[in-house]
Amino acid sequence: MMDPVVLDSALDIGFKTVPTLILVGMLALFLGVGYFFRVAAVDELWVAGRSIGSVENGMAIGANWMSAASYLGVAGLIATIGYFGLAYVVGWTTGYFILLIFMAAQFRRFGKYTAPDFVGDRFYSDWARGIAAFTTLVIAFVYAVGQASGMGLMSQYIFGVSYETGVILLMAVTIGYVALSGMLGTTKNMAIQYIILIIAFTLGLYATGWAQGWSLAVPYLEAGPQVAEAASLEAQLVEPFAFTSYYGWIALTFSLIVGTCGLPHVLVRFYTVDNERTARWSTVWGLFFICLLYWGTATYAAFGGLLYADGPGDGSFMDMPGGDADSIVLLTAQLAELPEWLVGLVAAGAVAAALATTAGLFITASSAAAHDIYTNLYKENATQREQLIVGRSTILGIGILTTIIGLNPPALIGELVAMSFAIAGSIFFPVFFLGLWWEKTTREGAIAGMLVGMVISFGAILNDTAIPMYTGVETAVIPEVAAYLPGTASALIGVPVVFAVIIVVSLLTEEPPEDVKRLVRQCHSPEPMHQMDSAEDVAADGGSPADD
Amino acid sequence: MSDNTTRDSTDAAATDGGVKTEQYLDKEINLFKPATPFMRDNLRAMWGLFALWAIVVFGPTTAVLIAPDVMTGTEVLGGFPLHFFITAVVTPLGALVLSAVYAYQRDRLDTKYGISHEDDVETDSSETVAADGGDR
Repeated sequence: MMDPVVLDSALDIGFKTVPTLILVGMLALFLGVGYFFRVAAVDELWVAGRSIGSVENGMAIGANWMSAASYLGVAGLIATIGYFGLAYVVGWTTGYFILLIFMAAQFRRFGKYTAPDFVGDRFYSDWARGIAAFTTLVIAFVYAVGQASGMGLMSQYIFGVSYETGVILLMAVTIGYVALSGMLGTTKNMAIQYIILIIAFTLGLYATGWAQGWSLAVPYLEAGPQVAEAASLEAQLVEPFAFTSYYGWIALTFSLIVGTCGLPHVLVRFYTVDNERTARWSTVWGLFFICLLYWGTATYAAFGGLLYADGPGDGSFMDMPGGDADSIVLLTAQLAELPEWLVGLVAAGAVAAALATTAGLFITASSAAAHDIYTNLYKENATQREQLIVGRSTILGIGILTTIIGLNPPALIGELVAMSFAIAGSIFFPVFFLGLWWEKTTREGAIAGMLVGMVISFGAILNDTAIPMYTGVETAVIPEVAAYLPGTASALIGVPVVFAVIIVVSLLTEEPPEDVKRLVRQCHSPEPMHQMDSAEDVAADGGSPADD
Repeated sequence: MSDNTTRDSTDAAATDGGVKTEQYLDKEINLFKPATPFMRDNLRAMWGLFALWAIVVFGPTTAVLIAPDVMTGTEVLGGFPLHFFITAVVTPLGALVLSAVYAYQRDRLDTKYGISHEDDVETDSSETVAADGGDR
């Protein structure tokens, strides 16, 4: 693993007026939209009154999904670890298919507020809900650290401030922004954020292709000669298993795919649509919008690699420092000598990506704390006002914690985010999947499974990243374990183990009550449901009087 | 717990009369044992597409392992090594196409079972929906 923060950067660090204005204008627009669509009611804060259509929700899925990890991290990973980096491209796009066929519409039919809500109701246990809420908070935190890191890097170029100042400044803006707007404002904003980030990303790529005479209309297909040239400089770029084994590649891809299906802030997007058909089509639209960016990441890596080797890299690029790798998209535009406003737009787009995702993460974290922990576990009759206060304090708390860790992040942006996917994949994916598809999954099975998932995924991260980082030792605590259970890809082992635990414990314990089974059946029934209904309402309505 | 004050008051009437809802609520949900015709049709589409998806996602890298010379030695589109191009561009596209195919299949399945997702359609009279599909 490379040093994440470096002092000497190839970035042109210095205050730039036009890029600053672009970023400030963008933030003003987001806050304006957030203010215009501000909300006070709980139903609107978290699920936007369940009124969002499929293209708009698809864009929101895209913006929510594409963080600094997609915008900056993936291209940097391909440029430094070659074909292994493409595991991120595959894992972070194709997972949506699994989400679509197995989970999207069923989650919409379940129709509650949050992922912990699902776990708590499906597994009829406040303990299960508490574990799920805690996991949601951890995921939001690990994921957001990567975003803070991206914000710091971009601030260096835009404002000319130090990395640390940039992290603090932009995280403060994010916290203020999320607290001021709610989910409705956020959903509207997310469509705008998607448009801004995809234009910024694509324009930077096209302009680089034009300026260098490398591509004209479709750089994704035209970059063959540049990939070949980059590969002639650095053969490892296209060497399939130079940085990992076949096992490592598959493990990472699998982990990112199941993580996609287990991320609370992704699932909550399906609660906001008007019906399950919209849930399905917005997934398709979302994947399309996501692909538009991911197709460009390998091209950026090739273009950026060549320009880097030509300039600061002195003939090579794969050994560039971590900070440069994470800024390769911006560096590509800068080294191609594009006009300052355009480079600034690329940087601002990265900030938009980081901000949009962080907003989504903080919203899920705040609802986990206010709704699932405070209201459901601690104070049953909490008022809406109390919930809002708890939610906002959570945003503030997790924001400050993220900022502190983000000042000295333990890994590259893409790797940090991959770790939160491994957590989501090992802990949430099995309980979501079995909870929806096997009605005899019991409370005891789910709790045992989530605890085992925690041990595996947290243990893997502690082993190869967290403990080495804070003890100053270079290698993993137990290197043999790290080879098969990397912190970024622990779900390939975690998921089958957790599935087995859940199934065995479920078979050994008492079957779930009949009303829970009916709840599961209602999630799969083809009968349309009303917009504001949840599966619980319908299952109870149609049930025998003895229920309840 | 989930006090939904804005809930449509016609719910109970709309769903109570539904014979189909009752039937679906009495059948076990088990991924490997579809209990209703709808579930059988749906799962058939799902498993078929899932198999294709697995090939699209894990196939290329596995092919590199099996036939490294063909995958890394072949050049396409003026310089991309074959494995690099397929993984970076074709695999995401494949997943997108399969997703659209599934969503479309599900729409056809909905039509077959006379399901409409327009919210304000009266769901208690399934004959109306089946007879004139063009409601709205």
